[in-house]
Amino acid sequence: MAAIVPMFSAVASSTRHILLLLRCISFAKKALVRISAEGLRFSTDEGSSIEAFVFLDKALFTSYTYHAPEPASSQDDPPEPPFFEIDLQSLLETLNIFSLSDLTSSTRSGGYDDFAAHRLNRHAGMNAFTNHAMGVTGVCNFSYNGEGGALSIHMFESGVTTTCDLTTYEADTVEDIPFNRDSLSVKTIMRAKFLLEAVTELNSVNPASMTVFASPGSASKPNLSLSAIGALGTAAIDFTTATSSETPVLESLYCPTETSASYPFAALKAAQRAMASATKVSLRLDDEGVLSLQFLIELEVGSSDGSGAVAFVDFRIVPLVDDEGAREHGGESTSE
Amino acid sequence: MAVLSFSLSPDATSRIYELLVCLAKFGESVSIEARNEKLTITALNLSRTAYASFALDAKTFFIDYDFTASSSAKGGDRFTCQLLNKALQSVFKGRSNDARGRETAIERCDVSIQDQPDKTECRLIVKMLCKHGMTKTYRLTYESVEVMHALFDRTAASQGWRISSRVLREYIEFFGNKTEQLDLLAQDGKAIFTSFTEKIQDGKEVLKQPLETAIAIHTEDFEDFHMQDQMHIVISVKDFKAIVTHAETLRGSMSAYFSFPTRPLQFTYQNFGMHCEFTLMTTGDLRGASSTPNPKFISNRSSSRQPSVAPPPPLNRTASEMPPPARPSFSKPLSSQSQRPSFKAQPSVTESDPDPESLFMPGGEEDQTWDPPNYNNDDGEEMLGWDANNEHPSESFHPTFRDSGTAAPPPQQQQERPAADESQEGLEPTQRLSQVSAQTFHFDAQS
Repeated sequence: MAAIVPMFSAVASSTRHILLLLRCISFAKKALVRISAEGLRFSTDEGSSIEAFVFLDKALFTSYTYHAPEPASSQDDPPEPPFFEIDLQSLLETLNIFSLSDLTSSTRSGGYDDFAAHRLNRHAGMNAFTNHAMGVTGVCNFSYNGEGGALSIHMFESGVTTTCDLTTYEADTVEDIPFNRDSLSVKTIMRAKFLLEAVTELNSVNPASMTVFASPGSASKPNLSLSAIGALGTAAIDFTTATSSETPVLESLYCPTETSASYPFAALKAAQRAMASATKVSLRLDDEGVLSLQFLIELEVGSSDGSGAVAFVDFRIVPLVDDEGAREHGGESTSE
Repeated sequence: MAVLSFSLSPDATSRIYELLVCLAKFGESVSIEARNEKLTITALNLSRTAYASFALDAKTFFIDYDFTASSSAKGGDRFTCQLLNKALQSVFKGRSNDARGRETAIERCDVSIQDQPDKTECRLIVKMLCKHGMTKTYRLTYESVEVMHALFDRTAASQGWRISSRVLREYIEFFGNKTEQLDLLAQDGKAIFTSFTEKIQDGKEVLKQPLETAIAIHTEDFEDFHMQDQMHIVISVKDFKAIVTHAETLRGSMSAYFSFPTRPLQFTYQNFGMHCEFTLMTTGDLRGASSTPNPKFISNRSSSRQPSVAPPPPLNRTASEMPPPARPSFSKPLSSQSQRPSFKAQPSVTESDPDPESLFMPGGEEDQTWDPPNYNNDDGEEMLGWDANNEHPSESFHPTFRDSGTAAPPPQQQQERPAADESQEGLEPTQRLSQVSAQTFHFDAQS
């Protein structure tokens, strides 16, 4: 009997990046995993109204091997790459165990790293005997044997081994929310923290939905406006490209005609973590009103992880059907 | 055209947030009154025992201030409304750490009231203009109500002190969290602030007796100090902490004006075009203060300023007017003292075994003048702590919360019209005649 070669196995020396990316889409309990030769794709969804996915490129791993499943006979088409569902929260918990002791883990960017690491050091009571100081790092090993098998995670770290086998489930029908990339009504790129701030401000009125309004821009109409109605009043955050600042919030804007759509506010809240971790976001509306938020997350320069690598987290949100929000805003902006 | 519109600088915006945080400790809603020369934001607590007001000067606090009095409105020279404090706070929040140079720091804040009959919605509109082309607009609903102000007669408040708010702010950290009352006392050249709560006993079980903390500050540390010796004035600790915390943000010195226990007390301070006033109800032993014929004052004022006003006789109040604070049972801060029958008729102060809970130091022979008040006549009154001698039952107003001009009985104080500028102008000429005659009678008797 030939040794069972796992269909998929990968090794990562730090799960920090993976944890960060997966956290961005962790608003749902279960995630759909698709393995391919290029990397892993995780996606989550909430009903059919919001969907998020992140692609973990194989460059994020120290080693990555994937053996495509072989067709039953040479006449058949190669079977689909494996996809299955796992419990995302369990996966995050598991990875969390590993990265807690990972001293290079730090959520601050830039030159703060060393200080944060030093502080973690001091406060955690670890000193010269840590992995990092001794030059020994842990190792995290993922493997998957094929349909029905579990997704196994082995973590080795200075004598402590953690093993976790996550049950894989058959996935329900997989249908992405359609987004018509070729027929956009609005496209803008802005810095993610402004979007985060806007959503946080709107959250303070406890709204049920948020309306996105975009226009080519004029004296009275902002280029992009996010507004919400709550019990105590309304709030609106307006962005315009007509500013004297050198770094406008809207770095680029494509908007041929006025358009607006509303989305359930819970969907925006689900994306807040992604907004907080990302550097930039590309906000697009297609002709049907589906909102696509693509967040660019810069992964920190690590020793063995892809230096200067970036990853993308995508959100797709289906608009609310009734256009009350749009009318409300249209009325308000013309009355000024 | 808006009835009211004004613009704020980033600093002013963060000051508005700080004052909202302070007002939140008094009540759930804030009332806004706009006049030509100033904007006043006030709050009144539920039990009507504390009133806080911030008057923002039109010329110095704002970048622009424009108020168009509409003659058709009732009370044409002002505009009043009421909002939930939380709603306003969430609008102004997060402005205070602009010092870090955040990218989304606001450059200006424009506020206007949209109150036209032809528009379907009346709103308070707050627009924050931020850098890099971002604008935040909030439209809040408000309620048009008449604002009720507390009146304070500063000419009658002859005693008081003034001290740097920073010093006070450092000391209030020591007051225990669970304490409810604060006792102010002047003694031996020191001002003693004691935070305490009445001990609640259920038979043998002590239900509540949190830590009592006493802080003594030398009168020389006060910029100005004038208070009757051994007179206890008691106010709420929470109110005091809220006031001092806010006073410190304005970095000036804080003044207190008061006369006697159970008369209102006022704290004021101002800076940066903001004038802050807090009028609080006080409790304490009035008889103790009034029974001494020649009250001794501890003061660092020059002697020419010693007033010759004698303490007024115990005032009349109906309990419905000023509901008692949470603890119904004290006239002195020490419940234990009132329960000691051996102490009641004693003329001299010397005690063989000093009560360990006593705030009074055991005195020597020369302290006989400062005997504790004679309890003989007052059995049964201590449980309530008010003056139950309702000598003038017809008098149904508490002088602090006065209405002006209307003869409505107290329960209808809801819709009072505020008088013109409160404490600056002395006695309001709108006292009821029965009040005036009653009081002048007493004053004549003394002088």
